[in-house]
Amino acid sequence: MTAALLTLADSRLPAGGHTHSGGVEQAIAAGVVHDPATLSAFLRRRLHTSGAVAAGLAAAACGADPTTLVRLDQEADARTPSPALRAASRQQGRGLVRVGRRAWPSPAWDDLPERPHHALALGVAAHAGGLLPRDAAAAAAYLSVSGPATAAQRLLAMDPLAVAALTARLAAEIDAVAAVDGVPAAADPLLDLLAEVHAARKDRFFAS
Amino acid sequence: MRTLVEVVARRGPGGHTVLPVVRAGGQYAVRRTGPATLHLVATAFGPLGGDEVAVRLVVEEGARLCVRSVAAAVALPSRGAARPSVQRIEATVAGVLDLAPEPTVVAARTRHVAELEAELGPDGVLTAADQVLLGRRGEEPGRWTGTTRVVRGGRPLLHTTVDLGPGAPAWLPPVGPRAYASTVHVGSDDRPVATGADAVRLPLPGGWTATAWGAELHRVTGALATLTAPERETA
Amino acid sequence: MPPDHNVDDYVDAPAPHRHGGPLRVGLGGPVGSGKTALAAALCRTLGAEYDLAVVTNDIYTTEDADFLRRNAVLPDDRIEAVQTGCCPHTAIRDDITANLDAVELLESRHPGLELVLVESGGDNLTASFSYGLVDVQVFVVDVAGGDKVPRKGGPGVTAADLLVVNKTDLAPLVGADLGVMRRDADAVRGGRPTLLVSLREDPTAAAVADWVREQVRVRGAAGADTTRA
Repeated sequence: MTAALLTLADSRLPAGGHTHSGGVEQAIAAGVVHDPATLSAFLRRRLHTSGAVAAGLAAAACGADPTTLVRLDQEADARTPSPALRAASRQQGRGLVRVGRRAWPSPAWDDLPERPHHALALGVAAHAGGLLPRDAAAAAAYLSVSGPATAAQRLLAMDPLAVAALTARLAAEIDAVAAVDGVPAAADPLLDLLAEVHAARKDRFFAS
Repeated sequence: MRTLVEVVARRGPGGHTVLPVVRAGGQYAVRRTGPATLHLVATAFGPLGGDEVAVRLVVEEGARLCVRSVAAAVALPSRGAARPSVQRIEATVAGVLDLAPEPTVVAARTRHVAELEAELGPDGVLTAADQVLLGRRGEEPGRWTGTTRVVRGGRPLLHTTVDLGPGAPAWLPPVGPRAYASTVHVGSDDRPVATGADAVRLPLPGGWTATAWGAELHRVTGALATLTAPERETA
Repeated sequence: MPPDHNVDDYVDAPAPHRHGGPLRVGLGGPVGSGKTALAAALCRTLGAEYDLAVVTNDIYTTEDADFLRRNAVLPDDRIEAVQTGCCPHTAIRDDITANLDAVELLESRHPGLELVLVESGGDNLTASFSYGLVDVQVFVVDVAGGDKVPRKGGPGVTAADLLVVNKTDLAPLVGADLGVMRRDADAVRGGRPTLLVSLREDPTAAAVADWVREQVRVRGAAGADTTRA
């Protein structure tokens, strides 16, 4: 089932991920990210907060019944008090449902609430693709850093080899986050602030 | 040391709040300092690593309860194995609960865990504030992990864990503040998003959660106050 | 391919040459060639005939959307700006999710919508729209870019359903030979139409509007059965 997981976590899967920077665009504007070292720190804090939450939600959503999916969507909202981050998550969820329905047809898609959080769509996509909850968590954890890494590379014209290297060096941490039990609630108020300031800007490349 | 504090606030004759249950033991004593106000008074140093404090608050419909503390708590390391000190507050709120203890100072090489779990009734109003300073003057910061979960009618409204201090991934340079303050309010005070330099207020159903951080606690609480003004109702 | 390979197991639906709902027209082309001016002209000229809306893919700001609001007499709720994540090309060709979201939003807001113009962010000669996003596409180049542009080709110039060579009024000033451009374009476009226009001299973009009318007539009414030329 590895090939399905690779497809799910592939940044080329047309689910709209390339228009989201995971907060990196505003982190750069705020001076928080400006080189590979600060990018690595940013990716780590994102991985261990929103990445860990997404991994837990995706695993829980993989194979879940409709009632549980509704409850998980509420739990995702409770862990995402930032309206900008909720909107970004639901926008990406909608995009993944659109391509996921075509790629992995399954009745499970109909169990999702309208415009689900991205992590829930990942869980259902994994299930529909014959994957396990831990695979859904792995995809969520990986995507929580791969998207922002690429965005930073574009925005700062960073050396793509340096960005690839620092992402690769996070592999053990990504695996550890994907293996976490339950649905963590790890929050980072800095990411909330960056997301809200970003959403209010007119001059931005990325949707979030 | 294990500490248990239990308080029940009930609407009494004439609408005044009565407190039929007020129990405390271990490292806290409880003093009633107003018609519906209690102060927690530390009777021992600490908390120390390994100490556990459980606070159970029930505010029945029509009752009000305001909980304060008399002085900052200084969380200190355990003598033996590195165990955290834990403070867990469970609140069942059908009336009005206002929870605003003095700051927690987490000394170097110390881990402190603070948890608040609040179950609100349909008309329940909650205001809960946290103020944290990592490290006493001139020493390394300690580590503070705070979880807030607010549920109303079975639906989670807010569930966040903020982990601050050395070793916490969301406390990496260049943004690893020593001071942190947060207030959550759920009731009937809808407010939109607001942002400050190092502060943000986010809407909740019937309320908001506001957070500020920085190098000095008094500046952080000032930044938070600008997001939470007009001042909270006091019981 | 294994001997028992059944193509139906791999292809989920016939390639959609025509999406349901309003006709979606892509407007692509290099920076400064006049895409936004053309979109505004089409809105002004066709706005009274069709229930129409516009999606813009600005690379950085909402400038194009703001321009359309000012110049196209199009209300705000008929213009959606899409963020392209620094890659306007990706957003119209490789991952069209954000644009599909915008089209669907406009459709839900205006149930009678007949025509959606999707304007790409300024890109280069290799940029083209995915037919998963649009039904037909127009590629806009300009005379000021030099009369070699059609000869250079690229997917936009060779394969677009309509090639528009804009700013013909500048030809004498930049030493461009319109005859050469016409001949080179015809040579690489396999019979697909090319229009030489000057939006400055004709702010109604009459010839392009006529082509769009024809597309709506041929493709719009016939729905999903119509195949792309």
